[in-house]
Amino acid sequence: MADSAEEARIDQALVTRIRLGADQRAFEQLVRRHQGMIRAQLRRLLHGDEAAADDLAQEAFMLAWRKLDQFRGEARFSSWLYRIAYTCFLQARRGPARHEGIDDETMEQLQTPARAIDLQLDLERAMQRLSTAEQVVLLHCSQLGLSHDEASYVLGMPLGTVKTHATRGKAKLKTWLAAWRDVANTEKFS
Amino acid sequence: MNEPNDEEIEALLHRQFEGPVADNGFSERVIRHLPPRRRRAAWPLRLGGLLGAVACWLSLTSVPMLQAGWRDSLAGQLSVAAIGMWLAMAVLALLALGWSVAESGKR
Repeated sequence: MADSAEEARIDQALVTRIRLGADQRAFEQLVRRHQGMIRAQLRRLLHGDEAAADDLAQEAFMLAWRKLDQFRGEARFSSWLYRIAYTCFLQARRGPARHEGIDDETMEQLQTPARAIDLQLDLERAMQRLSTAEQVVLLHCSQLGLSHDEASYVLGMPLGTVKTHATRGKAKLKTWLAAWRDVANTEKFS
Repeated sequence: MNEPNDEEIEALLHRQFEGPVADNGFSERVIRHLPPRRRRAAWPLRLGGLLGAVACWLSLTSVPMLQAGWRDSLAGQLSVAAIGMWLAMAVLALLALGWSVAESGKR
């Protein structure tokens, strides 16, 4: 927690330096500090399309540079960047976020993989079967490490909706991975 | 069915995430393409401040108590009007200071 507060303080100091003197070196430090996670966020959102993710990340940093005066410090700088990157992603998809995904009924019709080759692969598949909203909420909360509040800010979703998607997403993953476990156990003992 | 618990799911999701991407020249590329940052013009703020001060002066010069306070202050008399005028100015200055401090804290 203290580390996170210290990181936020460093970001804030760099932002102030840029505001005072249009300091490109300070912005370069900000880019270096955050590019890894922003690019990782976009790669996940774009299902591994590295080139497109890097293009969007570059666009997001350009936007951050131009709009830095609008950063008022209500959220952490990293959350502000995630929000810009997520907005760039939505704009690149040309349209509002589609949060419908696959419903539970359709999901039940999908077969559980007969052979569980690898848990990570199955988790990847299971993640892709979640609704888009559940995927992005779990990405931001469980993988990028944002709090529900921060995810709500980044995704522009009400806090309650974020919590609901996180709970539902995890519940679905639990069910599907339980099936995986059963298959794995059966194979192990047969 | 043997369902994993919340912590296991969290751990799996965390493990599945590859972590931050290595820079590999990305930051340099971004910095190379940065456009020059336009600084906000200061004249609208200064003009607004000047117009506000003039409007304030014009409206306050017609207040009899302030006129009396100013006259007494110039004559070196510590009248009620003079004290009231200086107190009002001190309160306004403190409010302006508080507002400035609050605004600078947000940045």
